[in-house]
Amino acid sequence: MDEGTPRWVKVFGIVGVVVVLALVVLLLVGGHGPGRHLPGDGTSRVGPPGAHTAPEHG
Amino acid sequence: MRMRPGVRQSALAAHIALSVGWVGAVAAYIALDVVAATSNDVQLLRAGYLAMDLVVRFVIVPLALASLLTGLLMGVGTKWGLFRHYWVLISLLLTVVATAVLLAETRTIGRLAEVAADPAATGDSVRALGTTLVHSIGGMAVLLVILVLNVYKPRGLTRYGRRRATQDV
Repeated sequence: MDEGTPRWVKVFGIVGVVVVLALVVLLLVGGHGPGRHLPGDGTSRVGPPGAHTAPEHG
Repeated sequence: MRMRPGVRQSALAAHIALSVGWVGAVAAYIALDVVAATSNDVQLLRAGYLAMDLVVRFVIVPLALASLLTGLLMGVGTKWGLFRHYWVLISLLLTVVATAVLLAETRTIGRLAEVAADPAATGDSVRALGTTLVHSIGGMAVLLVILVLNVYKPRGLTRYGRRRATQDV
């Protein structure tokens, strides 16, 4: 019988909602999100390309 | 519109090859990402970021888009449909989300490679670039979930699928 929603789909849904909520919390506290790893995004210690000091030797 | 058996088998072979290739390419990318996360060798880091950018742009993104496209064709052209079975619907949603995150991440990786390729970038600035390891491992987990769903095909018709099933009888 395929009546109703299977249990595995419910479990998937609950896990999905938990993951989405966790991502929303991370976005709100500013620890995640698109571009968070980009240089010059305010979280990195480096500037944009070409804005660096002396070239590396070796 | 159903595919003929020969066409269906060819499309399925292409879909499996592209999807498994996507998983393998992400595994290779994770190896580079681990180097980016752990190494202090500036030359290795520069090479790693450049390789990450190449692997993402020329292998992972094309495989992801081709896998999504062949998956859509398999859904539309076979008895499974796209919205009738929960395992197909969830696989489709996860693939679309994974592809969207991948496309957004491609821009980030391009910027990391840009800095790594810049001869004016100091060793410290290259070491400070960081990693995309959380995304790549998360992406791999999502791909493995999709793979398991596609192999086991767990039972369960959606409301739309149940309606179509009664109409088809």
